[in-house]
Amino acid sequence: MAGAVSSRGCLKIRGAQIRDLLDSKHNVLFDCDGVIWNGETVVTGAPEVVTLLKQQGKRVFFVTNNCTRPRENYVQKFCRLGFTDVAEEEIFSSAYCSAAYLRDVAKVQGKVYVIGCQGVLKELQDAGVPVVEEDNDSSSFSIYDFPLDPDVRAVLVGYDENFNFMKLAKACCYLRNSECLFLATDPDPWHPLRGGRITPGSGSLTAALETASNRKATVIGKPSRFMYECIASQFDLDPARSLMIGDRLETDILFGINCGLATMLTLTGVSTFEEAQQYKDSDSPEKKDFVPDYVVESIADFLQVLEE
Amino acid sequence: MAVSKCTRLSGPLIKQLLDSVDNVLFDCDGVIWRGDEAISGAPEVINLLKKTGKGVYFVTNNSTKTRKMYADKLAKLGFNATEEEVFGTAYCSAMYLKSVCKLEGKVYLIGSNAMRQELEKVEIEQIGVGPDHVSGTQFDWANVALDPEVKAVLVGFDEHFSYMKLNKALQYLSNSDCQFVGTNTDTRLPLEGGKAVPGTGCLVKAVETAAQRQAQVVGKPNRFMFDCVAGKFNVDPNRCLMVGDRLDTDILLGSNCGLKTLLTLTGVSTVADAETHQKSGCPVRQGMVPDYYVDSIAELLPALQG
Repeated sequence: MAGAVSSRGCLKIRGAQIRDLLDSKHNVLFDCDGVIWNGETVVTGAPEVVTLLKQQGKRVFFVTNNCTRPRENYVQKFCRLGFTDVAEEEIFSSAYCSAAYLRDVAKVQGKVYVIGCQGVLKELQDAGVPVVEEDNDSSSFSIYDFPLDPDVRAVLVGYDENFNFMKLAKACCYLRNSECLFLATDPDPWHPLRGGRITPGSGSLTAALETASNRKATVIGKPSRFMYECIASQFDLDPARSLMIGDRLETDILFGINCGLATMLTLTGVSTFEEAQQYKDSDSPEKKDFVPDYVVESIADFLQVLEE
Repeated sequence: MAVSKCTRLSGPLIKQLLDSVDNVLFDCDGVIWRGDEAISGAPEVINLLKKTGKGVYFVTNNSTKTRKMYADKLAKLGFNATEEEVFGTAYCSAMYLKSVCKLEGKVYLIGSNAMRQELEKVEIEQIGVGPDHVSGTQFDWANVALDPEVKAVLVGFDEHFSYMKLNKALQYLSNSDCQFVGTNTDTRLPLEGGKAVPGTGCLVKAVETAAQRQAQVVGKPNRFMFDCVAGKFNVDPNRCLMVGDRLDTDILLGSNCGLKTLLTLTGVSTVADAETHQKSGCPVRQGMVPDYYVDSIAELLPALQG
């Protein structure tokens, strides 16, 4: 049957089509890495796009799986890269949302055992969620014999450059109690760095712990709905008037679809137009959820329309 | 044709089974020992089997010991066994890299000193064993200097596993010509004293996830370990018995290689587990149903002594 029922057609748009789309949306959700910046390099035109959208009455949010910084550091990065008016309240990172989940949704009574970096620890601290103090140099104990904190009620795993066997063994012990929550900040198997390099992501550490504990983690980050629900709990969002813009089909676009948002792929990051087309042409039904409604070369393509 | 399976081994059936085989393969943990204690009766069983002229071999997924270390442990616990009769994954991975991967070059090793020693014995040079922590920035370690002679990544049990090692493995494996081998996928490693820690399977999974690649796995239930034994000792699968405590590694290996299989209940799996596989319609799961089971291999003693 020619012409699918849904508009999820992987449609490359520019000019008037962009204008019509933006006119129909009140909220724009941006992924960060690969959309508005790549590492420490801003995507040309991105700061102007954000400013113009806000000037025209749109609400703008940033939804990132990157859990390596607390929100206040993100604000500094935005400033550094030329975004002049981004407020902390508009930034939703998987670190911030994991802390919010523990405090507001799980309402955890007790401590959290964290495998993570400063970004996550700071957000938990800011949210008032107690954390087990971890000594990165655990040379005083062996992997065969270590103390456990009896107040632990949840395990949270995310990107951790100090990940080691001891942390894996400890987390596995805590997870033997089925009442102990098991959360992961995000599922990304690797993270892109500038220059085409990659580094292992939270997803690879989570996979180790899932295998050890024979349990599945509740994943906070995209494509899970929770980050959207976190935004919606603080701001009034109508999914029909919201647009998700991202560069990773398996996280950003799937996230948008899971939350009932319109979705746009920008080609300044990880996924390619060809990959999107392959998902569109695939016979398998789950792959349809990786197909964006719209595609642009870069969000700078909005400038022409917004400056009119 | 319905084949009767998962039968309790008792009475005359025991002698019948033993007479029908020339060689017996034993898993170690949970079968002949638990931690650093022999299972009561196990040394007598092994020693009598050898006395009656059977070949007896030990096949373990545990990569933390060399064959020599296993031979020392066996001797200490009263088993008459030699180094050549032990097949652990430290030794078998080295053989795998040499004979299957036909490796010419170095290995980036996430594993134990035992694995390093077994690699050295077959003249494969490794880098990476021991502690390795991150330093510098994210960008520094993503751009860490790679040794151009590394042609394979091998992952085994490593108590020094760290983010930096995971990162290095990822960088090497970004080259599709670099081979990727794991010793085994067991999720838990049994320790002396009856405890357990996360197993090699967790470390292999971490690397597989980051690299978005599947490892070639050497250990049970992959048939390579049987092929190692059979190649050395001329074992006829039709006249060979596999004795183990895990349905998804030991018994499945036996089934995959056409061996007779005996489950002992002194370790991980239960009869209920076996019956669940048996009742499922799934053909793959039938491979995890043992021919026979005993509470302990000590039950073989009367038939051997008689």
